[in-house]
Amino acid sequence: MQKRSAAIVPLALLSPALLMVVLLFVYPLLFSLAYAFRSEETGAWGLVNFEKAFSLYTNDILYTVFILVLATVLTGLFAVAIGGYLTLGENKRAVAILKWLYRWPLFIPMVVAGQLMRTFLAKNGMLNNALMSLGLLEPINAVSMLDWRGVVITFVWKQLPFAALLISGAMASMDRSMIESARNLGASRFRTLLEIVVPQVKASIAVSLILSFVTMLSALSVPMMVIAGSPTMITVDMAWRVNSYSDYGVANALGFISCAMSAVVAWFYLRQSVREQSRVVSK
Amino acid sequence: MKKSYRMLARSLAPLLAVSLSVASVGAHSQTTLNVISGGSQNMVDYVTDYLGPLFEKQNPGVKVSVVGVGPDDAGSQKILEKLQAQKTQPQWDVDVIVPNQQKTGEMAQAGLLMKYRDSIATGKYAVSQSSKLALGVNVDGYVMPMFESQTAMAYNPDLVKSPPSTYDELRAWTAKNPKQFGYNGLKNGMSGVAFVVGWMYAYSGSATALQQGPYDAAAKAGWSKAYADLKAFNQGVTFTPGNAGTLDMLNRGEIAMGPVWVDMFYTWKADGRLSPNLKLKLLSPGMPGQPYYYAIPAKAKNAELAKKFIALATSPQVQADGIVKRFNWYPGIDPNAVKSSLDPKAWANLFTDISPADLAKNGKPFPIAPFFTELREGYEKQVGN
Repeated sequence: MQKRSAAIVPLALLSPALLMVVLLFVYPLLFSLAYAFRSEETGAWGLVNFEKAFSLYTNDILYTVFILVLATVLTGLFAVAIGGYLTLGENKRAVAILKWLYRWPLFIPMVVAGQLMRTFLAKNGMLNNALMSLGLLEPINAVSMLDWRGVVITFVWKQLPFAALLISGAMASMDRSMIESARNLGASRFRTLLEIVVPQVKASIAVSLILSFVTMLSALSVPMMVIAGSPTMITVDMAWRVNSYSDYGVANALGFISCAMSAVVAWFYLRQSVREQSRVVSK
Repeated sequence: MKKSYRMLARSLAPLLAVSLSVASVGAHSQTTLNVISGGSQNMVDYVTDYLGPLFEKQNPGVKVSVVGVGPDDAGSQKILEKLQAQKTQPQWDVDVIVPNQQKTGEMAQAGLLMKYRDSIATGKYAVSQSSKLALGVNVDGYVMPMFESQTAMAYNPDLVKSPPSTYDELRAWTAKNPKQFGYNGLKNGMSGVAFVVGWMYAYSGSATALQQGPYDAAAKAGWSKAYADLKAFNQGVTFTPGNAGTLDMLNRGEIAMGPVWVDMFYTWKADGRLSPNLKLKLLSPGMPGQPYYYAIPAKAKNAELAKKFIALATSPQVQADGIVKRFNWYPGIDPNAVKSSLDPKAWANLFTDISPADLAKNGKPFPIAPFFTELREGYEKQVGN
């Protein structure tokens, strides 16, 4: 009797949270995934929604993948650069300033970032105006960057502090003796970063980039505000299907496709962590 | 320290009790009229700053509470879903709604609206075509138009000496001046949609059927040429981020011409957000406009009060002072009734760039609902993808 109640108590304590997750997260998710396969008009099950989604939005799907991959790669490069400088930088003042500065975009919501970039990157926006007044750009050559470039810039700007925070944290907790011996033996800072530091924080880099990828995949406000015209990202298409045609079927199909994209990334992540686990066990 | 806190609490407690009871007395004597607006921010402001206070003054004890859910289909879709969600309830918590045309038709078909027009005094002023048909759906008796809005081409006369007056001339002009014409595509606001609709009225060959029906599922097969031309035309235009985006880019001189909402154009100009020399031109054979409606949900809690509110909102005086003078919309009710309540100068301001004759000739409705959906999807498939 006592034994059984001992098993029930933790379960009972856990159940509100569990119920919440199941009801508000798992159920709607499965529901929307399943209803991607159901035609709104006829109620029949099949691939109708996917056929329509691909016939209308193939370009947008490819465009989304392109933007996300590019933004993730750039985020990774810059985050490693920032983390590397914070770990290996020798000018104390520059390190302090960078440390203070790089986190700011973390506190700015996506929609505000979109709004900022909309005026910053326009043809006669602040960026081009600044370049023109510095004489670096002829007014006739000014172009608007309110397309994929704008979205990539916004995403990288917004996700960089998050990735850099995780990566520089991992770098800071490394054993410094290896860095110091490499430096003593004459390795340049760049080489130390690439061959000593990065391999040891590989897991943190992967985690931060995977989370960034998924965050960017789900952003609606940024492509909506920054991209003018089409092609655009599939989050915008989903909103458009629901709002303009009350068509949840195709919206769900597009949702399924974006879940598939994050599943691919999640698979890499899981494979990586399983490998690491087994390495620990075999040791 | 602790003691003084307790003393403070003791002295504050009666104060708190008194203020609570005052608040609850206030709540008893007050009725709240819940308004949901599916329009842009200026339409919400219109109720918050002007119409609401006016109604509260005339009806002591009533509080007008307005919520904006955003413009276009997206906002009105939220209203539709809210009403549908409480369909089985005996009383609904929304008294007045301001939905767009497309969704008003859907709501009327779903039985979510109350037939009220003939029971209010201003019902007789609802004379326009759009007060009877919303994109081909019969809404006669269910709605009062709040205002009529129109799209037109805005241009910068410093850069464009003789603006094109037809779609054909616009194409020729754009071929000579690449990237100087800008519009906001299909998914970025209704002024872009309006431009595409105008294009299809000009080149699809089925303009009359698109506007008046009957719906014919085979019609869309004949639109490919118009789409292919539009796709080619799009190579030489600049895309803008939204209705406001087009105005911003015009103002910064990044484009010389683009489709805009007339009311937004005049309001921005009056606020000093647009260069005062920009001008408007309504392209032939026509560009679409749309009304926004006042409607009452079928089981609204305060239906009588809602009728009173809409009667005030559609009275000639309020249409003159609020709709025309303050917000630069075209009146929703019979213009002749409004004209006599306005000074001639304010009336003339409304027609500075577009004459009433132009408006009558080239101001068109949006296509009937099933065609409208097909037309937009056709664009996505044949122009966008």
